[in-house]
Amino acid sequence: MVENPRTAAGAGGLRLLNQPKPAAVEATPTGEPAAAVWQGRYQRIRAVADSWRIDDEWWRDEIARRYFVVELESGRRLTLYCDLVTGTWYAQSYEGPRESGTILRGRAG
Amino acid sequence: MDVACLQVPNFLIALARRDHPELTGRAIVAGGAPEEHAQVTACSAEAAAAGVTIGTTLRRALALCPKAVFLPLQESFVHTEASRLADVVLERSPLVEAVAPGHIHFEIRGLARLAGMDDEHYIAELLETVQAETGLGAWLGAASSIFPAHAAATALPLVGAGAPHPGRPAPAPRSGRVLVPPGQERDFLAQLPVEVLPVDPVMHVRLRLFGLERVGQVAAIPLSALQAQFGPDGRRAWDLANGRDRSSIVARREEARITEEMDLPAPAASIEPLMVGSEALLNRALAHPDIRGQTVRRLDWWLGLESGEQVSRRVVFREPTSDARHMLFVLRSKLDRLALAAAAASVGVTLSGICSEYAHQANLWQIGPRRQRELEQAIAQLSARVGGPQVYRIVEVQPWSRIPERQLALVAFGS
Repeated sequence: MVENPRTAAGAGGLRLLNQPKPAAVEATPTGEPAAAVWQGRYQRIRAVADSWRIDDEWWRDEIARRYFVVELESGRRLTLYCDLVTGTWYAQSYEGPRESGTILRGRAG
Repeated sequence: MDVACLQVPNFLIALARRDHPELTGRAIVAGGAPEEHAQVTACSAEAAAAGVTIGTTLRRALALCPKAVFLPLQESFVHTEASRLADVVLERSPLVEAVAPGHIHFEIRGLARLAGMDDEHYIAELLETVQAETGLGAWLGAASSIFPAHAAATALPLVGAGAPHPGRPAPAPRSGRVLVPPGQERDFLAQLPVEVLPVDPVMHVRLRLFGLERVGQVAAIPLSALQAQFGPDGRRAWDLANGRDRSSIVARREEARITEEMDLPAPAASIEPLMVGSEALLNRALAHPDIRGQTVRRLDWWLGLESGEQVSRRVVFREPTSDARHMLFVLRSKLDRLALAAAAASVGVTLSGICSEYAHQANLWQIGPRRQRELEQAIAQLSARVGGPQVYRIVEVQPWSRIPERQLALVAFGS
């Protein structure tokens, strides 16, 4: 008979990395970011370097995001996204999908 | 007038002709000797007429223009001359932005009044001073914002050629300057060719394919149409064509550079005495108070030849260094095939890209099995003492996911 270890089942102790952080963003009527508060400072967005959209898991909790790589007036580059389901903005660095093992090998080197 | 744009057309060729007047009127190709595996970095109008363009291989340039004079690429020399030009302007303007070698944007707001002159005379005097101090022919455009000033300087040959000008803003093309009075920017820009718009050259070609040859035609197109066709570049072009320019001058940052130079005791043609001299110079430069305790990314090395020519090489280190021997080792590898046209009379070095030392983090886990066990025990004790995991490792969860927060996670070490 196996003893009950009395620990919770599931992926306990797993802490997901690169969680999105809520961001204060001022958007244009077309939905593009125009200004953002970054490190407590209101800064205009000088340029949008890239933009793409992600739609996933529409069959359960729908994920619909529009990402923007922006350059603030201070010269800093940020990746922001607008959650198209709730209309809220977040900051999150973005790495595209990759084959298993790529990141860890890269970091070890 | 708030802003001015100063341009020395074909800067590299202009420098060559200033220092060697005998080259005037001859085809010049810069980038190296024709047998080198390199590309053309600049060429004179005479060489361009023979079909040479920037980016052409030097061998092809020789085939296209056999009579051309081929000049070595002297990056450090061009950089020095560009800085000198910027310095001359900086003495007369509080805000200067070096856009490219021989291309400067600077603020002139209120300066004419300070000098007790009107804008026209102030600009004329400024241009004359710059030309006299640098020995280079320059074009100058002045306006209330950056783009009209830039467009005026860029399109000056066209204005000089008598391009039509509704609301003519008192240009004086023969003198190398154009002033665009406030409020007339849109009219001035309207007749200029679309090539003055600072967008991808491919867009210039596409605009012309659409039959849009003048900035005024771009301004007349609905913004939505231009944006749909060209994206953000379309919006920028439309804004600029309509005289809306919100860009501002970004002042250049002074970069610390340490230069040491010496005359050789006797002219040298072989590499060894040059290396000895270079080592002495590097040691002297590295002892400079501005660099002590720091590392450098770039080394510019040059020789002054007895013939009056200069040979230069730039070394960019993969990792910043403050070790003179390492610098010499890398430099020597660059000089393997150096053939001097005359004996060297002087040698010099400039260190730049000064930064703090790179930290090298050792890998904690590559320390042998015994140490590994001790480390695991220490981590287990730490976790037991604090009451939870304290050391984690990164694991892939769903690396294939398009959702960034699903890709990686931290998991307690040893679990």
